[in-house]
Amino acid sequence: MNLLKSYIFPRLVQWVIVILIGTTVTFIIPRFSPVNPVDVVMASLASYQTTDPQAMLKLKESLEDMMGLNENIFVQYFKFWGRLLKGDLGPSLARFPIPVIRVIGNAMPWTISLLLIATILGWLLGMVLGTFAAYYSHKSWSKILQVVIMALYPVPYYVMALILLMIFAYIFPIFPLFGGVGIGLKPSLSLNFILSVIKHGFLPAVSIILVSIGWRFMSQRALTSTLLSSDFIVYARIAGVRNRKILFYLFRNSLLPQATDLALSLGGIFSGALITEVVFSYPGLGQILYSAILQGDYNLVIGISVFSIIGVATGALIIDLLYPFLDPRIRYS
Amino acid sequence: MRKIFVVLSLLLLLSLAAFSQLPPGIPRNETLILDQIFRYSIPHNFNVWTPVGITPTRQAFVFDTLWYIDQHTGEWINSLAAEPPKYNDDFTQMIVKLREGIYWSDGVEFTADDLIFTVEYLKAHEGLVWNADFNAYVDKVEKLDKYTVKFTLKEPYPRFHNLFTARYNACYIMPKHVWEKVEDPGSFDFFPPVSLGAYVYKDSDPSGYWELFERREDWQRTSVGVITGKPGPKYILTIFYGPSEKKVMAMLSNELDVLMDLDLEAFKALIRRGKYVRSWYKDFPWAYPDEIDMRNLSFNLEKYPFNIKDVRWALALALNIIELEENYVGGISRVNPIPHPATTYHMKYFHIPLKPWLEQLEIEVTPGEKFKPFDSNIPFELAKWARKQGYKVPDDPDKVIEMFGIGWWKYAPDVATKLLEKHGFKKENGKWLLPDGTPWKFSIIVAPDEEDAFRQTMWAVDQWKKFGIDVSMITLERNPFYAKNQTGDFECTTAWGVGGSPSASLDKWPYINGYHSRFYKPTGETQTLQNIIRLKDPEVDRIIDEMGAISPDDPKSYELTKDWIKLWTENMWTIVLTSFKKMITYNEYYWTNYPTAENPYGQPLYWFMGSRFVIPHFEKTGRK
Amino acid sequence: MKIIKDLFKYDKRFSVGFIFVVLILFMAILSFFPPYDPTIPHTFPRDLSPSLKHILGTNSLGQDIFWILTIAVRNSLIIGGISAVISRTLAILIGSLAGYLGGRVDRVISTVCDSFVVIPRLPLLILFAFIFRGFLNPLSMAILLGFLDWAWPSKRYRSQILSLKESEFTNTARFSGAYTLEIIAEEHMPFLLSYVVADSISGFIWAIGMETSLSVLGLFDLSIPTLGTTIYWANYYKSMLLGIWWWIGSPVGALIITVIGLYLLSVGLGDFLDPKVRLQRLSK
Repeated sequence: MNLLKSYIFPRLVQWVIVILIGTTVTFIIPRFSPVNPVDVVMASLASYQTTDPQAMLKLKESLEDMMGLNENIFVQYFKFWGRLLKGDLGPSLARFPIPVIRVIGNAMPWTISLLLIATILGWLLGMVLGTFAAYYSHKSWSKILQVVIMALYPVPYYVMALILLMIFAYIFPIFPLFGGVGIGLKPSLSLNFILSVIKHGFLPAVSIILVSIGWRFMSQRALTSTLLSSDFIVYARIAGVRNRKILFYLFRNSLLPQATDLALSLGGIFSGALITEVVFSYPGLGQILYSAILQGDYNLVIGISVFSIIGVATGALIIDLLYPFLDPRIRYS
Repeated sequence: MRKIFVVLSLLLLLSLAAFSQLPPGIPRNETLILDQIFRYSIPHNFNVWTPVGITPTRQAFVFDTLWYIDQHTGEWINSLAAEPPKYNDDFTQMIVKLREGIYWSDGVEFTADDLIFTVEYLKAHEGLVWNADFNAYVDKVEKLDKYTVKFTLKEPYPRFHNLFTARYNACYIMPKHVWEKVEDPGSFDFFPPVSLGAYVYKDSDPSGYWELFERREDWQRTSVGVITGKPGPKYILTIFYGPSEKKVMAMLSNELDVLMDLDLEAFKALIRRGKYVRSWYKDFPWAYPDEIDMRNLSFNLEKYPFNIKDVRWALALALNIIELEENYVGGISRVNPIPHPATTYHMKYFHIPLKPWLEQLEIEVTPGEKFKPFDSNIPFELAKWARKQGYKVPDDPDKVIEMFGIGWWKYAPDVATKLLEKHGFKKENGKWLLPDGTPWKFSIIVAPDEEDAFRQTMWAVDQWKKFGIDVSMITLERNPFYAKNQTGDFECTTAWGVGGSPSASLDKWPYINGYHSRFYKPTGETQTLQNIIRLKDPEVDRIIDEMGAISPDDPKSYELTKDWIKLWTENMWTIVLTSFKKMITYNEYYWTNYPTAENPYGQPLYWFMGSRFVIPHFEKTGRK
Repeated sequence: MKIIKDLFKYDKRFSVGFIFVVLILFMAILSFFPPYDPTIPHTFPRDLSPSLKHILGTNSLGQDIFWILTIAVRNSLIIGGISAVISRTLAILIGSLAGYLGGRVDRVISTVCDSFVVIPRLPLLILFAFIFRGFLNPLSMAILLGFLDWAWPSKRYRSQILSLKESEFTNTARFSGAYTLEIIAEEHMPFLLSYVVADSISGFIWAIGMETSLSVLGLFDLSIPTLGTTIYWANYYKSMLLGIWWWIGSPVGALIITVIGLYLLSVGLGDFLDPKVRLQRLSK
């Protein structure tokens, strides 16, 4: 009971405040964008056809009215919260009047399945390889591994993705060139569909994992080598404790900071993987968010950001609440 | 862990065996795969009557309108209409005779009711695209019989039929039996669409990367069927592959038949390896030169010093167009000095006839000193250069002009210097100073995804820097680029369409009437229309007014268009550079008989509505 | 100086890292002494493969890639370096304040920190790049990136410190009457330092990576050579498709050398800073 009052409750309040601030910031900043969504629609219209000048002006006015952009920003802000609390994110402005939630709903499953797997696999691989590399730091394979991983780390996503595509989709046409699933396949639990999804997601996932491993590997190696010099390990080694046991110990003891990172990265997957999606033409949220920014589609920018904000905030909350279970040395004080 | 890995890799291997791009039942050699220009943001929305619903390419398959002009040949095509529009003498009435025996894809006959319904429905619903046009011009629309409609206009308007004449698009006709039940047209998605074209919607990607259409069983009961008499490909699939590297890979793997546009480098990589790949010309200069527009460097005429005519001329004369062709665009665009597209069609009517005028054109350098700025030798210089590169160039001067354009302005930095000095500009240590002694600096805005505009900007920056002006380039994404153009927040821009890029017809009025001072907006206010350069000139108004009052077919309209071109050119309101080329690329593995330079039967611009009459001519090669 | 010499002698990783970093720094310094203005296009024939005259060949714009690269490396080092200094200074300061002071201070700081962490960064950056388009240069980019990257690492520092605070030796030290600052300086710092070094390098790499991402999207000032914009131009002219590998390869190679160099340096330094490892090595 005391725990609830002194730790969990304040932490929950913090969670709410964080979401409040984050959302407000994302509400405000896009409005400084040099792009006005109505002008975007008008410009695309003007580039496709020649309409009477007078008619264009008239159309523009009625669009502004329909999108509710003529209102005072404070009115818009309060209306926004009113809607949000009801679970309504409003209409997308560049795809008016399609609701933001539908646009997000189309892309969300792709983003989640790709990034969830890639993030967790990347994290695990980084942790395992980092621990091994530190523990066996004098072995030559460990040194080669380090150099390879560190060489992959700075390769820009774009270049990495394109190279993978060239090799495995063009020179050896094993994987498809674009999309999240084969042409004409409808979502179902059939083997065919699932295989197709895996095949389409494979290269994007690999490109993300290859690059994202680097930081995890590096930090894990640093953490582990610090632990390695602790008295406990030194004695354990001298006493001939089995490697596997020591490795497990090392792994467990570096889990805390690394788990924090994992939780935050998992929360962050809702904003998508922009460059990967662009190169692989993968139907995720990143590209939608990017085009929403370019088109001044505030509603959509905020809609996607809200998911990301809640995701990360919740990730942080969960990890904070789980701290004592991961590291018994920390007490709620 | 290891077990999972084994299972996973097995599954992957298994799936490899079944690898095929197309779904079962859709044979590749019956399917035309077109390059989708972009990823559709609203895949399941066929409501093209809303401002956000307009999507290129698919309009040609399922929608239709009354008339078309083929943008390559200039041919007038009566589509849903049986004959051209008939006006009364004072242009207050227009009578349309419709084709008989045209059916919607759900079996309902297309009649005058559909046309009347479309006009009245659009008139009644604000926020739809042609709403304001019809409200402005249409007083009454009546049915004379099942296939005849009479429009009564509110004021004389000899170009009313333009609303139903497609260049890129035009007012699409609605199926009355579907739309009469629609209450809220803004949120109706018209999906799946009832088609008036030769194809019906079959399937699409909810994420917007591809769209599949199937030929109608009764394709002969459509305007396309009646006019071409050919069935065309059984399936049409449009795919957005992403960055151009991937489009190249897709085409090399024969997974793409027609590409809208490529940069020269990607194209070179493509033809180097692709045995079946070609563009409009079989050889140099490859690209399709007749896309209806031109490339310009345009100034905000309200900003100092671009409001001075001599300054604009000086800037033009400080540019070396041969450099541009040789080093920046690879010699594959026609040079063009006048504000009118240098397409094969328009060159015949405007560029060639105006060449003597251009050769005689004089500007006053200093009081009493005249200079003839036009250089008709440029195409021949370019031909010489191209031959040196190993390209085949014909010797016939007319052919050379067809390839490289009629000529451009002389490279005359000395004259440019005099023009600037006349207005108090000074050159110190190789740098130009404004009359007030501060360094002359300005920037050009450009959207980098427009390859030609981008390269021409790089060229202009380099050239003007060499001349001693501190010019820089600001790269912007499309939308902020549009925004800056609209508000006049630029000194120099690479916006397209400035100066009026007409349809393949002699009438330019619809494309220039936005320059009338009635529509003028000062810098800072949003100008959604043509006049982003903030032009305000009584002579301009006169030409527009005179043209507006006469029929587009009136020979006087043609003369007035020439007046417009001369007026614009003399004033150098924009520096027109080259034609608007498109590297349309074909893969002849599965399909052939595309429109090409040797066989120019129609427009290759498949994302325009008029491609409906071209695609049926594509022929199967029979390859598996 | 002597330390570097020692490290050089005893630690092969350090020496390789050191050489790489010196190489990169040397390139950055060279950028101030070009034999001609390398940014002017069409000075040389296009697409020449590497030769003695052009060490890294020329690109499709007719520029010498090596001299362009020197400027690019310099600008990217500025971006990465300044951004890492800003973000890590803020992060360490804020993270340790929260970690050591605890209680209400911790709660307020954590809330502010979390509010920053939750806002997706790449989109935010794109938006900023979009709004401040005309003002983007390596310095302003570095500052922008620096201020976007403090929240996440400061959370990490906080949790590191929390776990250190609860560790046995802290308690031991506390029982033996040491002051907090003393504990931090003598007991915690050595542990933290190797982490800080690794973390700063990751901050550095993050900044360069972000600049690259922005440039690949064309959102940076493309006329300023950086590693990112060099990659942009190589992509723009389809160097990969046309097999002009020396163009796309040069900036990527420079990135890899920079990062591996810094990494190896940090590993060497980290071991050196960690007193226990040092003892081990001396005893060997």
